[in-house]
Amino acid sequence: MVLSPIVAFALIGLGSGGLIAGIGLGVVLSYRGGGVINLSAGVLAMLSGFCYWALDTGYFGITFPTGWAITLTIVFALVVGVVFEFGVVRPLRGQPPLAKLTATLGFFVSAQAAVVLGFGEEARPQPPILPSGIVSILGYTVPVSSFWIAGIVLAVTLLFVGAFRWSRFGLGTRAAAENEAYATLYGLSPNGLSLANTLLMSLAMGLVGLLGASIAEVDSSTLPLMIVPALAAATFGSLNSFTVTYIAGMLIGMAESVLIFFSSQSWFPTNGIGNPLPGVQELMIFVVLVVAMFFRAGKIPGRGDIVERRLPPAPRPRAPLKAAMKWVPLCAFLMWALPFGFREGLITSLIAAVSLLSLVVITGFVGQLSIVQLALAGVAGFTVSHFFINFGIGFPWAAIIGVLLATVVGLISGFPALRVRGVSLVVLTLAAAVAIENFGFTNSTWGASVTGSLVPAPSLFGFNFGPNASFHGIDGAEPSPLFGWFCLVVLTVIALWVCNLRRSRLGQEMLAVRANERAAAASGVNVRNVKLIGFAIAAAIAGVSGVLLAYSYGSITADSYDTLVAISLIAFIYICGITTVPGAIQGGLIYTGGLLAYAILDWFGLQGNWLNLLVGFLVIASLVLRPEGGATYLFYRSKRPASEVTS
Amino acid sequence: MSETVLSVDELSAGYDQADVVRRLDLRVDVGEVVALFGPNGAGKTTTLRAISGIVKPSHGTIRYLGKDLSRLSPTVRARAGIAHVPEGRGIFFGLTVAEHMRLGYRGETVDPEQAYSYFPALAPLRDRRAGFLSGGEQQMLAVARNLVRRPRLLLLDELSLGLAPVLVEQLLPVVRQYALDNGCGVLLVEQHVQLAIEVADRCYVLSHGDVVLHETSERLRSDPDILVASYLGQRRRSGEEAAL
Repeated sequence: MVLSPIVAFALIGLGSGGLIAGIGLGVVLSYRGGGVINLSAGVLAMLSGFCYWALDTGYFGITFPTGWAITLTIVFALVVGVVFEFGVVRPLRGQPPLAKLTATLGFFVSAQAAVVLGFGEEARPQPPILPSGIVSILGYTVPVSSFWIAGIVLAVTLLFVGAFRWSRFGLGTRAAAENEAYATLYGLSPNGLSLANTLLMSLAMGLVGLLGASIAEVDSSTLPLMIVPALAAATFGSLNSFTVTYIAGMLIGMAESVLIFFSSQSWFPTNGIGNPLPGVQELMIFVVLVVAMFFRAGKIPGRGDIVERRLPPAPRPRAPLKAAMKWVPLCAFLMWALPFGFREGLITSLIAAVSLLSLVVITGFVGQLSIVQLALAGVAGFTVSHFFINFGIGFPWAAIIGVLLATVVGLISGFPALRVRGVSLVVLTLAAAVAIENFGFTNSTWGASVTGSLVPAPSLFGFNFGPNASFHGIDGAEPSPLFGWFCLVVLTVIALWVCNLRRSRLGQEMLAVRANERAAAASGVNVRNVKLIGFAIAAAIAGVSGVLLAYSYGSITADSYDTLVAISLIAFIYICGITTVPGAIQGGLIYTGGLLAYAILDWFGLQGNWLNLLVGFLVIASLVLRPEGGATYLFYRSKRPASEVTS
Repeated sequence: MSETVLSVDELSAGYDQADVVRRLDLRVDVGEVVALFGPNGAGKTTTLRAISGIVKPSHGTIRYLGKDLSRLSPTVRARAGIAHVPEGRGIFFGLTVAEHMRLGYRGETVDPEQAYSYFPALAPLRDRRAGFLSGGEQQMLAVARNLVRRPRLLLLDELSLGLAPVLVEQLLPVVRQYALDNGCGVLLVEQHVQLAIEVADRCYVLSHGDVVLHETSERLRSDPDILVASYLGQRRRSGEEAAL
């Protein structure tokens, strides 16, 4: 019987399906309760998972019996819920959906950094709380816990459905979601409803964290990244229907499990060295998400908030050449004079600034928040590596081809943006990033093996200017300032070009598209072309940063272009100013592993994760206080009187 | 001397530091229906919003049953018995008629049957979503839902917007009767002046955020020219109209 293993594997998938559905419920609840696309739902589940693990295994010195550990974990989940409400949801009430989403990204980064600092990166085996027995179905063993998880999450789903349909709280939430101002006129308290919803969401995520332990180890990335399939499920439910989200989540989990079975079959495509093709599940989720977006995203209910704000203004650059002539020589001198650790930090900062410029173009100018940029950088990086390994082609041709390829992939990723907008686009690009990472980069044929994929040092006419070039800094150590200067030149050229883009006709058209697509179209802007050109430019810049990153590392792995890193990049650019070139450069300087991070490590002995811990708070603070970003504020405010004099 | 439900003194309010309403005084007594007229942009809607708390006044005081409202949120004001039917009806398209009757803050109970007795046409539509009701039915729902809250002060913003006048003729008498029976003060903004002066006791005419006319309905019914004059600007010279 051919079908029986498929059925058995589908049943095994009930477990992960339940977790996906559970996180999906959290996404739906956050959206209905506060209009927040909660990308940190999985992170909340992970926090509870770690809390339970720590309490149950005595990590903090006291070992609690299981019952107590569960109770305390639930209390902890509620506390986290309160923090989430007052730290993320409440401060961003009335902000545009994109800002709310970015704030949850900030929470994501902070919470993850906290867990890595507290528990380390390795996975923690957890004593399961569900029955660990197995049953035999059609000759295959299926763990009982799968059925438990599916059943418990189903019960939670039905509870939510009932509450929203019949309870006064549910009616109030639905009313407030439709129009907050009207709801207050009926004596409802939107703040109270929002808090109640967040607590409910947090409780549900706490439950998912507890359940997750029974089928997987607790680590800092599995549950957080389960947000991607969960978003796919929630999108099928139009971020509104608990039932559809549950069903879609279960089906995705089961399909993933069946794909695992398929990958053990002889007909399954392999990656060339005999292993089944990796990343097929992530690719499937991406495809599912595209389908969901196509059919269901249009039905996502808008939210009637009292105030609605847009992206921060993108001021015209003033005298960029003059600024460049001041800063570039200084930076060039520092590149030679600084000790090696700082030099490495500075190089990382320059490269990060290039990739942040890509976000400035696509988000700051065209208004499309895209998480896929770092994956595009990876496409270029791996192209450079493989052109050398497979064909022996080095600089500059491999780099050029890499950037072109990234541009093509970026252009393709831009096509959905012609139909999909705003928040839905973020979700889609997140899924694309995860799919590219897992399907592309972890695939040893066109991605990297575990040990890394070699990247040759860049050289022209036999003259090596890579990090290992023979010309060393003042301290006589690598990386070579030559490579730093190369990065500096590239960054300067691109930064000046982006400044120019903002002043050009195309830049004006991008801002018009950002402000209002229909109005732009009505005044003769070709919205489709402007968007596609924007995606292509941003992808090319991202490609350049990917090439530089590859040269800088000398050997790259899938982790070099990790989706979690991509998320923290967005957090950094939001803090410093997503709409301006100074924002990108300052973002690079404070970026993880950059100059500031190294300085803090060197002077205070604090690891980069401490910086990440702060990033989340900074993102939310800057969204509320200085939505235009710190650098943009400093750079453009202080000079305003001068411009008024000249004009 | 009857008891005052609402007294507004020297109210200034607006949006983004630009005042739409300037130093406005008005008063609504128990059981009284007061109409607020005026051309577009006169500040009628802003006045209602300031009273229910959606707009923050920049100057002046609003007293409700003798209490100063300035420190109270819209939610608290609503719970204290101020009902506001805003422009756009203030109902929720995703909720059914019956769900509107169950909606409310903790401790609030409303009697759905009472609502259906005000507007029997709503009764057969209980399980229909508000978004699928006709404009007139939506407005009935909005008024009925706010009447069953048993408010002491009812603010009605352009009931007639988008409705046939014949429907407004059905709505206004219900409001009038409720005010008489329950001693509720009603402040209504209306474009259909003729319909409104039939039910109102007193009328204010606003222009550029200020009261330009305050008169009893009785007087306006007998001498419509006063009203026309106030709309067109009081310093109307004879012959000007002919020139236009």
